[in-house]
Amino acid sequence: MAAETGTPTTLTLKSNDDELFSVAESAAILSVTIRNMVEDGCAGGVIPLDNVDGKTLASVITYMNGISAIPADEEKKKSYRDKFLSDKDFETLADMVLAANYLNMSCLMDAVSAKIAQVMEKKSVGWVRRKFGIENDYTPEEEAAVKEEHKWTFEGVETDDDN
Amino acid sequence: MLPDLCGSRLLLSLPDDIFSVITSSLSPSDVCSLGLACRDLNAVVSSDKVWLAQCSKLGIKLLPLSTLVEWRKGVLSYRALCRFLIDVHPLIGIWVHQNPELGNVVYVMPGFLSLVGCRIIPQEVGPLGLEEGPILWTPVFEIICNHVGSASFFLHGRERGDDYVYPGLLKNSSADKNCNVLLLEVEPRHQSEGGKLTYSKSFARELDNEVSLSNKLSRSCSGRVSNSKSQKMPFSRLGFGDRRRLLDVVTSQIRNIVPKEANVMLFPRSKNDFGVLYERRLLLLQMYDEESSSPFNPTELGSSDVCKSLECTTTTTSVDQCHVTKSKTLSGFLKNGLKHILRKSSVDQESQKSTSSSSRCQSKLHEFLRSGDRVGLSLRAATMKLSSYRAWPNMHDSRFALYKLPLHPSNACDEYAGLWGATFGWPPGRKSEEKPGKALFLILISYEESEGEKLMIGTKILEGTSYVLHPNGSAMFIVNVNQPSMELFPIESDGESNYIEVKRSFSGEGVANGYGFRYPGSKPGSLFVLENGLLVFMWKESRVVLTLQRLDLGELLRKGERVNSLSPISNFAYLTKTYSNVYSGF
Repeated sequence: MAAETGTPTTLTLKSNDDELFSVAESAAILSVTIRNMVEDGCAGGVIPLDNVDGKTLASVITYMNGISAIPADEEKKKSYRDKFLSDKDFETLADMVLAANYLNMSCLMDAVSAKIAQVMEKKSVGWVRRKFGIENDYTPEEEAAVKEEHKWTFEGVETDDDN
Repeated sequence: MLPDLCGSRLLLSLPDDIFSVITSSLSPSDVCSLGLACRDLNAVVSSDKVWLAQCSKLGIKLLPLSTLVEWRKGVLSYRALCRFLIDVHPLIGIWVHQNPELGNVVYVMPGFLSLVGCRIIPQEVGPLGLEEGPILWTPVFEIICNHVGSASFFLHGRERGDDYVYPGLLKNSSADKNCNVLLLEVEPRHQSEGGKLTYSKSFARELDNEVSLSNKLSRSCSGRVSNSKSQKMPFSRLGFGDRRRLLDVVTSQIRNIVPKEANVMLFPRSKNDFGVLYERRLLLLQMYDEESSSPFNPTELGSSDVCKSLECTTTTTSVDQCHVTKSKTLSGFLKNGLKHILRKSSVDQESQKSTSSSSRCQSKLHEFLRSGDRVGLSLRAATMKLSSYRAWPNMHDSRFALYKLPLHPSNACDEYAGLWGATFGWPPGRKSEEKPGKALFLILISYEESEGEKLMIGTKILEGTSYVLHPNGSAMFIVNVNQPSMELFPIESDGESNYIEVKRSFSGEGVANGYGFRYPGSKPGSLFVLENGLLVFMWKESRVVLTLQRLDLGELLRKGERVNSLSPISNFAYLTKTYSNVYSGF
């Protein structure tokens, strides 16, 4: 197909809120889900992506284009990923991890997961509750019991709630 | 900071597998912090998926996924398993002691829901070679994971023809991943709260009297009153004799004969073994649990009783010998012996007044014993600053300890680092009916930078000769990585008329007789790397060759043959200087 003829093929992707995006096939097949569709020959018209909204899909396509423009240099790819994710808020990250999972893009999935984990690293319970607007629904007895159950993990650990 | 109102919805809306991918980059404490936030999150982070990821993340090479899945069947959850693994995985590896000089190598590796410390016996390679003939080993200790993931320590030992286990506590701060010393200690403890109160109440009063009396006794001995809670005398600060006797007393009192059903294999050889190992583990854990929940925890022993045993060690052997196995027996022994103990103590006190030299030691010992109302055995993993010479740590010869050998990860430039088996002569360690066996050497190869040169050092950690020539930890050879040898490899075929190709060679020097035993000399030689993966060191002058092959100790031990252990303390650390094989000949 594309590689054989030498002309770049463009795919059209459709988000679940009906936005249409054009993307080079060579970039789009970073997604195993899309690659399978292309290989099965069902990528002729518009490819509907029912689990991804337009805003997230736009981000993902930016990523696809960006990362596929970089030659096989893991260092450079990594720094691109870091930069790409650096300004994303938590909600966007959560949407992206779902999208990456659905699109089966392991490199994005791993990077976003690591980024989300980074946000939650070394934080106290209080911070987690404040940050995510979680209401403490434990009774004091329950909370004490859960704390006791988890005590072994906290030996020698200090939390870092600065950001 | 403004709360991200969608946050909890977002966190909770993530599917399980995504959540476990995310949490796999978090530490266990971070995962638990999430769980503490609210019930829903706790339900999510308590999933097996999350904790299986945590277990895999530890990256324990010897525990592949299939093993984790098998182990999971014996515990409450992957979280419980993770707790155990975090606690014990820093112990996995090769541990050594200077004595005996033939080598004291204990390989700590996974068993079944356990770690097993296996001593490699100094031995010869049989006619079948290393691959076919079983390697001889003996169990030193075991750390078993219980249902909820806490670790139960058992020292192994053999006395008067019976195999015993000596239960104790594993003292290991989970944060300490770099522990390099394992110490066998006696530890003062307080009677744990709970237990069977009805059983202990009447005794508690007696115990009170006893403690106050023994306090009075120690005060008069040391001549000062100190607050037992604020000052803690660590075991390591006691004199060698006191430490030795404390360990002797505790192991003579707190022990169990291993039931026949449990005295079988310690790790699986095939899938069919899991059933037997499962039963064995339950038996040992039952022994451990029953006793530690009873008022007289047999992993511990009343301090005053120890006082008594220590102060008249020559006269109490008969008492020591007839006990213990069951907790009831122990408590009965304590009750009945109480008056006797106190009478003895006051007599001893009289006799001690005359020997003032021992009184400082005595006061240390009393201070030690006073900081708890019982004592018990413990295995303490510690990180100490150790100096080393040519990759061999300098060790205390009076500590009941094992020292960990740093195993550098094999990266591209350190390709020969790690453990090797070696025999003198060619062909390597096998066959020839006339010569039934060759001494097996264990050699640890490491790399060191010295004066701008990169050196490869082959440290001898075990040898199977009958009488040792060079000290334990001697460098069998040191070669310069950047200096190829000018020598030709002396052998052309491998004994089966296959042509041998030499891949690389290095020049350096090999061990030789020097100034006395302690200071070996060295003579020039070359190390050859053969195409088939073997290493051969040849002394230039004598043309003697030492042939090395990579070893997978875990695999060899699984196929190995268990031999009898020594008595418990010697089985852990053999501190007497000796040049011959103390582990064989049973």
